[in-house]
Amino acid sequence: MLSPRQPTLRLLRTVPRLRHTSRRWASTEPPPAGGHSNVIGTSSLLKSTRDVALRTQGLKWVDLVDSDPSRDMVGRETRKMNMYQAVRDALSIALTKDDTAVIFGEDVAFGGVFRCTMGLAEEFGRERVFNTPLTEQGIAGFGIGYAAMGHTAIAEIQFADYIFPAFDQIVNEAAKYRFRSSGNFNAGKLTIRCPSMAVGHGGHYHSQSPEGYFMGAAGLKIVIPRSPIQAKGLLLSSIRESNPVIFMEPKILYRSAVEQVPIDDYEIPLGKAEVLRRGSDLTVVSWGTPIYSCESALDLLAKPPPSISQHVPESLRSAKVELIDLRTIMPWDVETVVESVQRTGRLVVVHEAGRIGGVGAEIGAEIQKKCFLKLNAPVKLVTGWDTPVPMQYEKFYMPDNIRIMDAIVETLTY
Amino acid sequence: MFRPVRIPRLSSPLLSRAPRTSQRRGVAGTTPEQPTNALGTLPTSSSPITSKLHFFNSVTSGEKQIPTYRVLDGAGQPIEGAEVPEIDKALALKMYKHMVQLPILDETLYNLQRQGRISFYITSYGEEAAVIGSGAALAPDDEVLAQYREQGALLFRGFTVDDIMNQCFGTYLDSSGMGKQMPAHYGSKEFHWHTISSPLATQIPQAAGVGYAIKRDPNRRGKNCAVVYFGEGAASEGDFHAGLALASTIPTPTLFIARNNGFAISTPSSEQYYGDGIASRGPGYGVHTIRVDGNDVLAVYAATKEARRRCIEEGRAVLVETMTYRVGHHSTSDDSFAYRPRKEVEDRKRLDNPIMRFRLFLEARGWWSKDEEAALVKGFKEEVGAAYKRAERLPKPPVAEMFSEVYGGEMPWNLREQKEELGRLIRKYGRTWEPWRAELKKHKGEGKEFLD
Repeated sequence: MLSPRQPTLRLLRTVPRLRHTSRRWASTEPPPAGGHSNVIGTSSLLKSTRDVALRTQGLKWVDLVDSDPSRDMVGRETRKMNMYQAVRDALSIALTKDDTAVIFGEDVAFGGVFRCTMGLAEEFGRERVFNTPLTEQGIAGFGIGYAAMGHTAIAEIQFADYIFPAFDQIVNEAAKYRFRSSGNFNAGKLTIRCPSMAVGHGGHYHSQSPEGYFMGAAGLKIVIPRSPIQAKGLLLSSIRESNPVIFMEPKILYRSAVEQVPIDDYEIPLGKAEVLRRGSDLTVVSWGTPIYSCESALDLLAKPPPSISQHVPESLRSAKVELIDLRTIMPWDVETVVESVQRTGRLVVVHEAGRIGGVGAEIGAEIQKKCFLKLNAPVKLVTGWDTPVPMQYEKFYMPDNIRIMDAIVETLTY
Repeated sequence: MFRPVRIPRLSSPLLSRAPRTSQRRGVAGTTPEQPTNALGTLPTSSSPITSKLHFFNSVTSGEKQIPTYRVLDGAGQPIEGAEVPEIDKALALKMYKHMVQLPILDETLYNLQRQGRISFYITSYGEEAAVIGSGAALAPDDEVLAQYREQGALLFRGFTVDDIMNQCFGTYLDSSGMGKQMPAHYGSKEFHWHTISSPLATQIPQAAGVGYAIKRDPNRRGKNCAVVYFGEGAASEGDFHAGLALASTIPTPTLFIARNNGFAISTPSSEQYYGDGIASRGPGYGVHTIRVDGNDVLAVYAATKEARRRCIEEGRAVLVETMTYRVGHHSTSDDSFAYRPRKEVEDRKRLDNPIMRFRLFLEARGWWSKDEEAALVKGFKEEVGAAYKRAERLPKPPVAEMFSEVYGGEMPWNLREQKEELGRLIRKYGRTWEPWRAELKKHKGEGKEFLD
């Protein structure tokens, strides 16, 4: 868990900032032994060997070492990275290969409150990696202007919870820049990174998952990675994408998700979901942190501990559940999800944000439309409740493994 | 020889309770005298320590307002001590012609809206000098981010009357945006005019980003600047503060031009701010600032030219506040006599007309005559009349264009499906449902991209 003194919390903004007194030191504290979450630390979804990492589904090398694809397994190296290191690696590659690329936001120059930009200012200069005044609407607007000139703008909003002052710039400006000029101008070279989702003790304003609010803003893309390999490949795709992208990084994974990450330049395509586990009885769709809760829920389903085994009928323990990481929220991969639900006849969608107006509602409606005759049970949503993210109640707010397992059981027995 | 006077605003009984900007109350005293450094300075700034308990509320000493730079008086003569900026006859006449043309264009389009032939329009009445004077001082490839009342500067760059008409009528030749936006939302890549959007002030922080791109581009650095226009009302938006803070802390060649015309729709500037206009905010952000008489085209031209030079040479932001008066209604959706007396407007038009002031200057130099004036007005009226008749006859863009340019690259599945769905509905009802049948006829191809 992050230290309670964690100064990245915006609450401390009200304390006058004095030179020479750093409010940042604690962000460089080492992570607790064993990572932030055992569920994530022991996940089989994280790739712990080079061979597995290099076989990542959909991974596309940007610099081919050889026209023979088998050469990739010989000539490629990987390095153990957590998610913030993978993000940093992607940013470093983006800056190296594109002279127009700049990174800016609050506190990015010293390395960022989550260390995602460590050393980049020293390596590439303060002209390319720089702090802005504390103004989210300004950061987004500045990025749009820079991108409108055909240059690559990588903006950081310190927490997704603080993206709302920039909502106007993102929804009315970035998203519509191309359409309103019918292609004369566009803000396609803008990427906005922001840490999102819950962290255990973030309360209202260090926990939110605002992807649903942006889903209806035609012209935007929204991407959420689940792991270091994904973060690097999806971020490089987002930066090079010809549309403005909001890239939400689940902050609890920054240190706890660790895997072998290819060190070369590669991309993972946007708009494509990844099937993490094949199954034929039920489809679970999720993204970001809850992917690991879904994995854990499947373990609970297969081997419930004696204390709850009475709630898991024997017949369901061998159920084959398909697990899909959506990865891109907009435009989401309807084809993969529909194909899966056509086979399984059952769908559970899991996300941290509240239910009303959330992404799950959108997916549920579309699947109901496209898979009506194949559905054997109602589409079930396991989400945060329609409350603000509550401080002392987080355990009961989150769509955790027991809630997901219960939803799977309920849907399978409908 | 008369000199233009500031007509006191707010003579309407409706507004009598509003405080007057011209009478700043002395609640806070004057700018403090600089103490000697005997007591030292703060460790983290160069602020000297003082023992005087003294509040202040003015950027100038003695509680004076920031002065307004002027070159010509109301009779078109240089005022005492003023230096007439270097300007040749060709440029002067080009500026003047555009100033004369602007109200003719405005009148035509305003009337077209009144007749229901276009849906909306925004005039520039009274701000001809502020817009043309500043626009003329820019390089043709400086990047402009405008609010919506600056079409004169775009015309000055070469945007044609046909371009204006095609945008306002939303024809298939609309180069600004293929009929996707409301009238008066112009844009042109060729003329470095970023497409206008309705949300106020959003262009201000964007301009700082544009300025940064110029600064980082070896082909444009030291050659161009980013220029952003906005009204005094828009300067109350958070984006104004963001834009100035960004352009000053991340130094960029960004030129901020505020058009202070006294009103934001019905809201007089006295209800917009209590300080000394927009100019007083510039120094708070460490930005070079000047206030200029926006009805004096030579003053605006000289101030903008110098502002631009500083922007580019120092690579830093500059703020120009042009003081003018919105003679016309806010837009075609507004009747401004609901909140200000007709006489006030008529007085302003008569006493302080920016076009007349410049014309007197030109006539005094022997550069302009009554005959030339008559020919210019007649010729331009004919040009505008012909252009709107052409545009009015042109079809709107093909209906399927509605789905284009939402995204760059491949069209996402949801849009593909929705485009197909509209096609299905048009095939089903397009020939039989009268509201659609009539509307389809107005579009190029009459929906045949769906019907076939």
